[in-house]
Amino acid sequence: MKYIILFLALFVSPVYSHEMTPTYPVFDQSYVSGLSKTSVKLFNRRDDVRFYKIDVYDREWNKVQFATENQLVIVNYLETKTIDIYVRNRDRIKIEFICTESKLVKGEVKSTGVSSRICSRIKRD
Amino acid sequence: MFRIILTLSAVLGMTSIVFAENVPITGTVESKCSVSTEVDGVYGTPQPYKLSTATSDGGVLPKIRFDTSQAGYYLARITVPSSFSSSPSLSDTVEWTGSTSVESMSDTGMSGYEAAKVTYGNTTDYDLTVAGSVWINVSSTATYGVDTSMPQGEYTAIVVAECIAQ
Repeated sequence: MKYIILFLALFVSPVYSHEMTPTYPVFDQSYVSGLSKTSVKLFNRRDDVRFYKIDVYDREWNKVQFATENQLVIVNYLETKTIDIYVRNRDRIKIEFICTESKLVKGEVKSTGVSSRICSRIKRD
Repeated sequence: MFRIILTLSAVLGMTSIVFAENVPITGTVESKCSVSTEVDGVYGTPQPYKLSTATSDGGVLPKIRFDTSQAGYYLARITVPSSFSSSPSLSDTVEWTGSTSVESMSDTGMSGYEAAKVTYGNTTDYDLTVAGSVWINVSSTATYGVDTSMPQGEYTAIVVAECIAQ
């Protein structure tokens, strides 16, 4: 019964969601020496949002420098985008979270808007 | 001649069977969390100096849904507004209050979420220990100055809903 309710909730109701995988990304050596690379996949099911900001944090939620094609990514409604993230090898050990946050456009928000953020945690061996 | 045509037809028929591609449907089961906005909230104005999303005040409560495919991988975090993201120019202070409450759930195992939530400042954490969906209502109230009417204009505030891997 609970699976029927879950199915109905997931596929029948008109919802606008933000989804990111994997839960635990892993950094690998990139083709550029001194840099490590990982990828996250972002799925936009929010028709009110097109812009997503990427951030990388340490365990204390301090921002860590990283490089990616665009830190503010345009992901259209129902589009999936894979984002490559590069960090310096010496920073790799302190990175804990990779987050994507929806950015609401001023003027399009009526009264109260909801900004969504999903954070994946770096997998340690 | 007839035999040759028959043989060619058979060969072509077999070839066409080879060309009939199977269409694979692939899927991956992995832990993930999605944050959904079910209802965008609306502030009502029960008093000239007050904005509130409470239904009794003429507002609409924002409703957020968290879906997790596997248990125990994520923490849901909701931060209620503590400032306007846009408003007319305000000369007096605004006092903010807000709260969150679990409205419904897809699994009875989530019934303990409300009691187990941790609130600090404007933020509330829910440990998503059961796979499924949970719907959370957010209330927000802004009270302006002391018996001072709010300036006319449009006010917006942002609720932040997060899913954080544990």
